[in-house]
Amino acid sequence: MRILKYMALALMLTPFAATAGNYPDKPITLICPYSAGGGGDTATRMIAKLAGDMMGVKINVENKTGGGATIGIGAVSKSKADGYTLGFVSTSPITIRTHMMKAPYHPLKDLTYVGQFVASSQPLVVLKDSPYKSLADLIAYAKANPGKLRWSTSVQRGGPHVAVEAMFKAEGAKATFIPFKGGSKVLAALLGKTIDAAMMSEGNKSTLDGQTRILAEGTPNKNPVNRKVPTLTEAGYPIAPAIFFGLAGPAGLPADVLAKWDDVLAKVVKTDEFKALANQRKWSLDFAGHKAFTKTVVSDYNAAKIAIAKIGMK
Amino acid sequence: MDLILEGLSLTFTWESLIAIIIGVAAGQILGAIPGLTASMAVALLIPYSFYFSPWVGIPMLMGMFKGSLFGSSTTAILIRTPGTPAASATVLDGYPLAKKGKGAKAIKMALYASVFGDTFSDICLIFFASLLAMVALMFGPAEYTILIAMALASLGMLSSKPPWKGLVAMLLGVIIGTIGLDPITASERLTFGNPELEEGIGLIPMLIGFLSVSEVFRQMESSLSDLSGKAIQFSKKKIDNRVSWTEFKSCIPVMFRSSALGTLIGAMPGLGSTVAAFLAYGEARRTSKHPEEFGKGSLEGIAAPEAANNAVSGANLIPLLAFGIPGDIAAALILSAFMIQGINVGPLAFSENPVPLYAIYGALIIANAVNLVLGHGLVHVSRVAFAIPRRLLLSSVLVIASAGSYALRGSLFDVQMVFVFGILGFAMIRYGFPTVPLLIGFILTPLLEENLRTVLLLASTYDESLLFVFTRPAFNVLAGLIVVILVLVFWRKRRLRRLPSPPSDS
Repeated sequence: MRILKYMALALMLTPFAATAGNYPDKPITLICPYSAGGGGDTATRMIAKLAGDMMGVKINVENKTGGGATIGIGAVSKSKADGYTLGFVSTSPITIRTHMMKAPYHPLKDLTYVGQFVASSQPLVVLKDSPYKSLADLIAYAKANPGKLRWSTSVQRGGPHVAVEAMFKAEGAKATFIPFKGGSKVLAALLGKTIDAAMMSEGNKSTLDGQTRILAEGTPNKNPVNRKVPTLTEAGYPIAPAIFFGLAGPAGLPADVLAKWDDVLAKVVKTDEFKALANQRKWSLDFAGHKAFTKTVVSDYNAAKIAIAKIGMK
Repeated sequence: MDLILEGLSLTFTWESLIAIIIGVAAGQILGAIPGLTASMAVALLIPYSFYFSPWVGIPMLMGMFKGSLFGSSTTAILIRTPGTPAASATVLDGYPLAKKGKGAKAIKMALYASVFGDTFSDICLIFFASLLAMVALMFGPAEYTILIAMALASLGMLSSKPPWKGLVAMLLGVIIGTIGLDPITASERLTFGNPELEEGIGLIPMLIGFLSVSEVFRQMESSLSDLSGKAIQFSKKKIDNRVSWTEFKSCIPVMFRSSALGTLIGAMPGLGSTVAAFLAYGEARRTSKHPEEFGKGSLEGIAAPEAANNAVSGANLIPLLAFGIPGDIAAALILSAFMIQGINVGPLAFSENPVPLYAIYGALIIANAVNLVLGHGLVHVSRVAFAIPRRLLLSSVLVIASAGSYALRGSLFDVQMVFVFGILGFAMIRYGFPTVPLLIGFILTPLLEENLRTVLLLASTYDESLLFVFTRPAFNVLAGLIVVILVLVFWRKRRLRRLPSPPSDS
């Protein structure tokens, strides 16, 4: 009888024993704050598949869109800090947007930065048959016709938005920003001539090569499609913020979770599948673990604070 | 020609055919379950498509989308529960027909119209993709605004006997549609500080509650004695269970118009199949010889939305293949499958390597044929599945409604919404308010607001003048078309008034 009791006790304890220190042992949810099909979504799904295979659990992707990605990230920040709910994060709603609006989280207090895996390019483009042959042409038109130049980018008040506004501000020019929801609508508006210029994260080579002309690059790295065009800082303008893709969780993620992801993410970015996707989308792979990524976020956040105050963007 | 044959040879293989059959069957079943959408299933499957040859994975995804659009109409017709939002317009005439025992006829009509719409838009895609995409790009915020405003105006009064009740219902829909974050400035509206409301009311919980749960509540009112009866009576007469050639022929004009409308809407990014279905329904009712039958079980009322919503799904590939712009989630998911497989889309794709595109065309056409064949099987399955006593079905509808809305994003708030809208729908039916205008107001308002406010912003760059819209050719054509329709409507009304009114009318 006693043996039976112990066996029953052992059986009861088994599931608990399995959970301790064995992260992950059940499906993980990755919240993507952008809609299905965009760059962020493709990246999240690829990470979910590759990391899920490596860790031997299913990783589900949930798209929680809206509020310029703050709704999805807000959901991440409010989730349980057990490592089973993480989210995709990118520059704008972390280091940029939070200086201009009340986000449902504080980027430095409510989130743990798990790791960065991509730094993407942000070319400023016009249509192939546009009269603007260079960045100087575009600026000259905006200066001569205040408010008449229409432009857009997929995230309102995001890094690229701030960078381009800072450029116009530095030149004393005025252009009108027309918001659209998502990169594909921005591209449609550009092709349909509703807008004159756009800063696009769309890395589809044939789209950019066939239909548009790149005038400048909005991030610190050279544009991979056209290496001849200057970055905004090279052209003498105030900022060209790095545009990162990474993963974050709620504040206070356990150390074993962070260690696991440091290890897994570093392997994920080295897989052939991820390299192929990054090559296809013209992303520069740029892995940074928890510590390095947190450092980037903190310094970018503080730098953007100063720049945005100068432009007076709200 | 060699390239076309090479492309077709990629999909005319056993592996592709089996993949399409699996995709269509899975799509039809997933589509029929409320809350489970083909987009969700496909999103989950995409990462695994890496392991297959592209010509197994991609045809399967396409079959799934096509199957789900038809599958979702079976439950819309039989138990007033649209499996996906795109089928909500099919409820209007499908459910009344099912109540008359003609459920099988209604489902078959939906099937034929779906396959018709699919085939029509696929042919348009194959032959006129770049032309249609050019036309669609001429539609900017100004054109969307006038199109949606027109739709709101014409659909809002649909089938409401005192028109003011229809108007009240629509305005209620408009108000519910504005709940959530403002689309331009992202400030909170009507959320009462509840963060759950920030994202707005979810379309699927709202539809399920408003259409099916309200119906369950309504049936709870009826006397206990008939609760032992079967849930859905299928008539024994052969004529009630099939679509005769005469009936099919009478729906052909409506299917053509609805497919054309659906194709055009599908080619424009951002409007979607639900909008197309409702627009086609309104248009079919306007042009029908028997508008009085709409809402009571008109076959045209089934054919129109079904042809239109399926036409949208094919046409969504038009801006995708022509410019690399995905029109909706389905197209976006297909785009990511292409990208993972290294297939380029956009204007250079045709000149660089058209073979994959021809292969896709082949897969689309095969999927339509498979959808038709498997669809007939689904009619028989659903006849057996729903031949259960009504008291069992009604309670299981409540369970399915709750589970389906929960499954969508794992939110109990959504389940609460299902019942809130169930009660609202029930109250509206009880007090004689039409329910459709509310749905239309709810679906169209966010689209209208987003586009109208963009137009106002654009006006600021044209010396603060709204007149710039008349410099846009597509706007002028649309405005002209709307004037013509308005004149026709008034002319017809006047002529009707002059004639002695027919005594048999209603």
